[in-house]
Amino acid sequence: MTTEATPGPSSTWRKVALQIDQLSKTFPGTRALNDVSLEVESGTIHCLLGGNGSGKSSLIKILAGVYQGDPGGTITVDEVSERSDRTTPEWARAAGLHFVHQDLAVFDGLTVAENLAIGRGFPVRRFLWSIRWRTLNRRARAVLDRFQVHVDPKRLLGELRPADHTMVAIARALQDQSLAGDQGILILDEPTVALPSAEVDILFGALRQYARAGQTILLVTHRLEEVIRIADRVTVLRDGSVTATLDAGQFDHAKLVELIVGRALDSEASAGVAVEGEDLLLEVSDLSVGPLHGVTFGLRRGEVLGVAGLLGSGRTTLLTTLFGLRPMDHGTTKLDGTRVVFANVDRAMDAGLAFVPENRSDSAFLEMDVRENLSAADLPKYWHRFVLHQRKEAEDARRSIAEFSIKAISEYQPFATLSGGNQQKAVVARWLRRKPRLLLLDEPTQGVDIEARGEIYRLVRNAVAGGTSVIVVTSDFEELARVADRVLILAHGRITAELLPPHIEASRITELVLSASAAEKAGPGAQEMENSHQ
Amino acid sequence: MSVESTPSDESLAATTTESLGSTSLERGGQSSLMFNFERFALPGLFAIVLIFFGTWSTTGHLFGTAANFQEVASNYVYIGILTLASLIPLVCGEFDFSVGQNAGFCQIVVATAMARFHVPLPFAVILAIAFGALVGLNNGNVVARLGVNSLIVTLGTSGILLGVVEWYTNGQSISLGISQSLLNFGSRNFGGIPEVVYLLVGVALVVYYLLEHTPYGRYLTSIGSNARAARLVGLRVDRLKLSAFVFSGALAGIAGVLLVAKNGSASPEAGSVTDTLSALAAAYLGATSIRPGRFNVLGAMLAVYFIGFSVAGLAIAGVQSWVSQVFSGGALFIAVVVSTLIGRRRLGTT
Repeated sequence: MTTEATPGPSSTWRKVALQIDQLSKTFPGTRALNDVSLEVESGTIHCLLGGNGSGKSSLIKILAGVYQGDPGGTITVDEVSERSDRTTPEWARAAGLHFVHQDLAVFDGLTVAENLAIGRGFPVRRFLWSIRWRTLNRRARAVLDRFQVHVDPKRLLGELRPADHTMVAIARALQDQSLAGDQGILILDEPTVALPSAEVDILFGALRQYARAGQTILLVTHRLEEVIRIADRVTVLRDGSVTATLDAGQFDHAKLVELIVGRALDSEASAGVAVEGEDLLLEVSDLSVGPLHGVTFGLRRGEVLGVAGLLGSGRTTLLTTLFGLRPMDHGTTKLDGTRVVFANVDRAMDAGLAFVPENRSDSAFLEMDVRENLSAADLPKYWHRFVLHQRKEAEDARRSIAEFSIKAISEYQPFATLSGGNQQKAVVARWLRRKPRLLLLDEPTQGVDIEARGEIYRLVRNAVAGGTSVIVVTSDFEELARVADRVLILAHGRITAELLPPHIEASRITELVLSASAAEKAGPGAQEMENSHQ
Repeated sequence: MSVESTPSDESLAATTTESLGSTSLERGGQSSLMFNFERFALPGLFAIVLIFFGTWSTTGHLFGTAANFQEVASNYVYIGILTLASLIPLVCGEFDFSVGQNAGFCQIVVATAMARFHVPLPFAVILAIAFGALVGLNNGNVVARLGVNSLIVTLGTSGILLGVVEWYTNGQSISLGISQSLLNFGSRNFGGIPEVVYLLVGVALVVYYLLEHTPYGRYLTSIGSNARAARLVGLRVDRLKLSAFVFSGALAGIAGVLLVAKNGSASPEAGSVTDTLSALAAAYLGATSIRPGRFNVLGAMLAVYFIGFSVAGLAIAGVQSWVSQVFSGGALFIAVVVSTLIGRRRLGTT
């Protein structure tokens, strides 16, 4: 990418396209944004950075009109101001704020032209309302040319490379802007999460060109190396406040991590302590599958091992592979010193593994009752001499409801009528009843209220006291710091660091996750990048 | 998952009543009454139909007789078995649209075996069941292993079977050389009840046991509720679905044998997609009662005979045959709407 030299901030005076003044947002019990002020200059790429819970997403949602800010602030787009407690999706659209979210909402099965027309209206003949295909494709061609997306509008979107999906989504969002003069603001929310590095280059090349043509871009990302490559200016949020706004050239990795985490980078290398000895329940060596490359680690009996990483780091793949949901390409896993390969989930279960998936839509049987949900993983226990002992099953369900403090009126209550937190407790209970040797938890407290969160971890702790080992993946690093005995940092499919007590702190985890993903990119990632352009 | 909704009083009360009547948490008597109404609406309607046609002066003298009851009971055994056949795939969330045509195919198999190849009755029956199961195996393989939509696959199977039957029989019925004991079984009574009814009761009991009292049935229900979650609790979803289609096919085979026993011959017209529709109607109608929101054997059997006696009553009253058609179609329509509403309420999404 020779065209992508370090973006120099132009010294010429630029118009302010978006100005946020004294924006606050209070949720019951917490303040997500605290007196945030921010200026985005026209025709620049402005990055918004911050860790989990920094207020980034609240800010974006207020701009999109999904949330309203507290009274007292103002948001000015193109010199037109609006009170911050009065933003609506209609306002955002009228003001020219164009959003492209992480989930692009594009349709693989439709052509590029159809994707561009969806939500905007197809050109139709006056009488029969039949689509005027030639006009549709011609318009699409014009839009694609304007945004320099070099694809045939008649091709199915699903056949295109990933970066083109994002670019089509951007073109769709921006197509109604006038060609010159006043342009809206393109707001990209983590657009690169699902993109391989070569694809990120293509996307960034395009973004750079749009900016040069006068497009204002606000980019939300977790990836520092991307910020350094593309940002004209960066604003860092921490705990709902702006900690700094810096121009390109004024920051590097270390500086950004320091701003995000709130203290100077700990230069002390965290030497990974190799876990060895008799005590090991699980040994994973050189595991490669999907995004994972050569992952090696051990897990002790009765240990809670946390895994921290960004979305797309391979954290879910790690758990699903261990549980026999997908075969590994390379590597070995040993359980109790014996090599094991689980071809199927039931084999993994027989070996004493348990897995609570990230989404409850992958674990809840909503139409069935609480009892049936609790015994879903150990039903054969009640099958004896051609009789399913349902009374015993109901008794055990009642016991579990009490033991795991599930709020249910009876064991026959339809699962769908339980609250989210209680459903999740029941799902965890389903597995803990089996007394697993290894419990795999993927975001176990997502969408769960605070009280249930505490109870879920209390239940896990009890199991650990009974000898169960746990691997837990969560994006909530505060939570991870509280529950984990040891934390592995996963970035781009590799384990880049290990944290042991007393160094397990949320800020330290954030720091390592962010700098690890940056360091990784500078290494093999950069090489990959060059190769792809030869 | 956004099922954060707090349970409504109504559904809670409903559940407690459902729990075998053992838990007596009396909350909102009105809504528990409502639930019982829902649960026993079909049996209630059934009773009303029987009383109405039994006492109405136009129909009473014919409808209320033992002969009429035997006639209807015996005539609907075939649809009853087809209903059970379609029930098993429905429980795991799949359609078997080929059950009717499969029965039609299997009646040709059993009749041909006896008439042309002089196979003894027991082996002919086994052969028919085996052929039915084979058709199910084929359906199941394509649906479960390749993940093709079951409605389309089984509709295709149905068409193929129809063609095969026409080609093989050349449009001719097979009526000579059929075992006399099979014909006797189709026409005799035992203890005042048609012998074929005992067959239906037997098959229904087996399917009831299978679905309600074995882990297998629970597994199928789990798959029907959430196939991905079922996989994550260690169920071999594809194998289980495959087996459901095999069971369904085997039951269609039994239904085919029964057709021959009842009709005394194997006609290329008997056993068709129309019968499949009647079976699906009964299965859905059954899911509105006894265990509302779930496909269940008792409800389905009640539904079969509710439709059977209603149609018989209408016939005796002298209404034209299209009225009966509209009645059956209307029953399916209402059943699907009501069971969808019940399901939605159980999911708390209303």
